[in-house]
Amino acid sequence: MRVVHYLNQFFGGLGGEEKAEASLEARDGAIGPGKLLEHLLGAEAQVVMTLICGDNYAVENQESLIAAALEKIRACNADLFIAGPCFLAGRYGMAAGALGSAVQSQIGIPVVTGMARENPGADLYREPLYIVDSGDNAARMRGVLEKMAHLAVKLMRHEPIGLPAEDGYIERGLIRDQFVEKTAAERLVAMALAKTRGEPFESEMVPATFQPVPMPAGIKDLHKAKVMLITDGGLVPKGNPDKIQGSAATRWGSYSVKDCDDLKGEDYEVSHGGYDPQFVRQDPDRLVPLDVLRELESEGAIGALCDEFISTSGLANPLSNTRRMGREMADKVKSLDIDAVILTST
Amino acid sequence: MPLTLATHPISEIRFAETLWLDGTVLMVDKDELMRLVLEDSAIESVDFEIARPGESCRAGPIFDIVEPRAKAPGGSPDWPGIIGPPVTAGNGRTHVLSGAAVTALREQSPGDSRGATGYVLEMSGAAAAGSRYAVLHHLIVIPHTRGDLPIHSRHKAYRAAQLKVAVHLARAALDELPERAETFEVATAGERSGLPRIAYIGQIFSRQRKPEADEQIIYGADTEGLLPTLLHPNEWLDGAVVTSYHTSLGGAETYFYQNHPVILELYRRDRAGEINFVGTVATIASANNFDRERNTRFSANLVKWALHADAAVLTKFGGGVPHTDLAETARLLESAGVKTAVQVTDLARDHRVESALLFNFPEVDAIVCVGGNSTNWTLPPVERVVAANSGLAELLAGPFEIESLNVVGVANQQGASRLRSMLY
Repeated sequence: MRVVHYLNQFFGGLGGEEKAEASLEARDGAIGPGKLLEHLLGAEAQVVMTLICGDNYAVENQESLIAAALEKIRACNADLFIAGPCFLAGRYGMAAGALGSAVQSQIGIPVVTGMARENPGADLYREPLYIVDSGDNAARMRGVLEKMAHLAVKLMRHEPIGLPAEDGYIERGLIRDQFVEKTAAERLVAMALAKTRGEPFESEMVPATFQPVPMPAGIKDLHKAKVMLITDGGLVPKGNPDKIQGSAATRWGSYSVKDCDDLKGEDYEVSHGGYDPQFVRQDPDRLVPLDVLRELESEGAIGALCDEFISTSGLANPLSNTRRMGREMADKVKSLDIDAVILTST
Repeated sequence: MPLTLATHPISEIRFAETLWLDGTVLMVDKDELMRLVLEDSAIESVDFEIARPGESCRAGPIFDIVEPRAKAPGGSPDWPGIIGPPVTAGNGRTHVLSGAAVTALREQSPGDSRGATGYVLEMSGAAAAGSRYAVLHHLIVIPHTRGDLPIHSRHKAYRAAQLKVAVHLARAALDELPERAETFEVATAGERSGLPRIAYIGQIFSRQRKPEADEQIIYGADTEGLLPTLLHPNEWLDGAVVTSYHTSLGGAETYFYQNHPVILELYRRDRAGEINFVGTVATIASANNFDRERNTRFSANLVKWALHADAAVLTKFGGGVPHTDLAETARLLESAGVKTAVQVTDLARDHRVESALLFNFPEVDAIVCVGGNSTNWTLPPVERVVAANSGLAELLAGPFEIESLNVVGVANQQGASRLRSMLY
C-alpha cells in the first residue's frame, strides 16, 4: 500500500507562522505524524511521499497547489491519500479538504483527512470526504491517527463503512437505508413516550436550516416593468419537447407565447406527478395566467410581458437539482432584462 | 366498545371441493369463490392462485392485500360501508386467519410516477426479506373485468371481489376454536391517572390526488369534504378504513389497517401499564392551504380537547405534500402543550439530509424516518409469475431492477417498515 501524506508547515517541521508562505515541497518517506500513521496503517503500508506546504501559500494558490500535488501523487502510483489531521487550523483544513477532494475525484484513490467539526474545511468538504472528527486538541494526535488509519484500511479493503458514531468521521449530511430490528411504529411510540417523560431520544431525521433569502428591492414603476411568468407546475407544449421529468425534474424549458393572449389546452400538456392536472389541462391559464397578464399589459398596468414563460416540474426534487435550475433560470431572466417575475406553483 | 380478535393461524392454503379449516390448513372452495366474484357483472372471469412463503414466485401489479377476517354474528358488520351497512365497526368478535392474505391484482400497469411494474409481491430472495407480506400464504385473486368499463369501475370491482373472498374464507373459522382470543378496549378517561395519555393521528388519504369516482376509503366514503374525525382504535382494526386505489400514493395496504402497527403498539404499551391509549383521529392531507389551515387545526383540537391527550403520534399517507399537513398538525399540538412524534418518509432523491423533509419546526423534533430511496434490487427470474395477462407477466419475468418502494410491504407508511433512513 503506497501512501501519500499531506502536512502543513508546522506538522511538516518547517516552522511556525513565519513559514506559512512556504510553497509545496515533496519529501521521500514519512515525516512527523506520518511515521506513526505508517505504523498504524499496518505492515503493508508505506508512506512513499510527504507533501508539505505553508498554510498561506496553500490557501492563496489553491489551484496551482492542487495541480502540482496531483502530478506528484500520480507519479508515485499512490493507493491512498491522507491529509492532516488539521484539528482547528482553518487554512490547513481548507487545503486538506480541497486537495483530498481533488485527489478523490481525479485520481480515484481513497482519501481520509481529520479536522475539528468547527474547522471551516469540515463544513465545506464533509460531504465528499471522510473527515475524522479530530477535536481541537493536537495532543490527541495518536487517537486521531488511529481512527484515520482504521477508516483508511476499511476503504482500501472496500469494507462497508459504518455510521459516523461507529467509524469516527464527521456526518457527511447523507442518507442511506438500513433494515433495523424495530418497526417504524415501535420506534415512533417509543420516541413519543421518551419525549413525554422528558427522557432523551434521538430523532432519525434532522430538519435542514437555510439562510433566509433577502427581499429584493421593490419595483419602482410597475407601468414600465417587464414581467415574466415562471411555473413549477409542469406546463409544457404538447409533446414535452425538453422531456421535463414529471418528478425530480433535472430540466426546465422556456416557451414562446409571442402573439398569444390565451393558452389553449390543446397546445399544452402537464408533466407533473404530484397534483391533479385536469383543470390545468382544460385551461392552462389557470396555472400560467397569460390571459390576465396580457390584459394588464394592454391596460398599461405593467410595462410589458415577456414573450416566453419558464416551466419545470416541482415534485420530489432534491435541492441539489433545484439550486442549479434556479441559478440557470436567474441567468436567463437577467439576460432578458426582466424587472419582475411571477412564480406560480401548484 | 370491546373488539375480540379470535386468531386461527394458517400454515397452508389448498384448493378443495368445500371450504373448511383442517387444523391450520385452509381448504378453499374455488368454485364457490368464483361464483361469489362473478355475482358482479363488472367481472367476466376470475382466476385464483396460491403463493407460499419462500416460493420462487412473484405477483403483480398488486391492487391491495387484505387479511381474511369474518365477523361472528351479533357484532359490527364485515367491511361497513363497502359490503356491509355503514354502521360503526370494531365491536364483537372477529375471526382472523392469521398468516394468510387475500391479494388482488390489477389488470393494467399503473404506469405512474412509481414506474411500470406497480407494486410487486416477492415471495423469496433479498427483496422478500424486507417485507412482512413474504411470510404470508396468499390467495391471489385475479379478476378480469369487462373491457368497456372505466378504470374506476374496475377498481371498485376488484375491491368488492377481494373483500368478499376474504370474508368468505374466514367464515371457515366461525365455528372453530381459535388458538387465542384477544380483546381490545380503551380504558375510560382518567382510569389510570399518572400515565401519559397518548393519541394517534393517521392520514388515510392525500388530496394531492382526487379520489376516483366511487372510491371507498372510510366507511365506503371517498374523503370528499372529510374533516378530521375521531375513530375508536378498533374501527381501524375492524374494517372502517381501506386503502386508496392510487398506487403512486403508496405504502399503505388494507392489511396494515387491520393489523395497524401504530395502533397495536399503543395498545401493547397501554396494557403494559405505560400509557393510556386515549383514541385516534383519521385525517387527510390537504390539496391546498385553505384546507390545510382548517384540517390541521381540527386534528390538533380533537386531540387536545376531545381526547385530552398529553402526547400524539402521527403518520402520513402519500408523497411529499402530506409532510406539511403532518408537521403543521404536530406544531399546533406542541404549541398547545401536547408532545408529538411523527413518522415521515425520506424524500431525498439525492440522498442528502437537506432534501429529506418538507418542514422545519424546531418543536417538531421527534422524527421517525422510513427509508427506501437508496435501496434497489435486481429481481431474478422466478419459477412462477402471477399476473393478470401475458404482457404483465412478461414485464415481471425478471431480471429487472426495482426500487424498494415498489416491493409491497418494504417502505410501508403505516408503521410496519423496518427499512430506516440512517444519517451518515
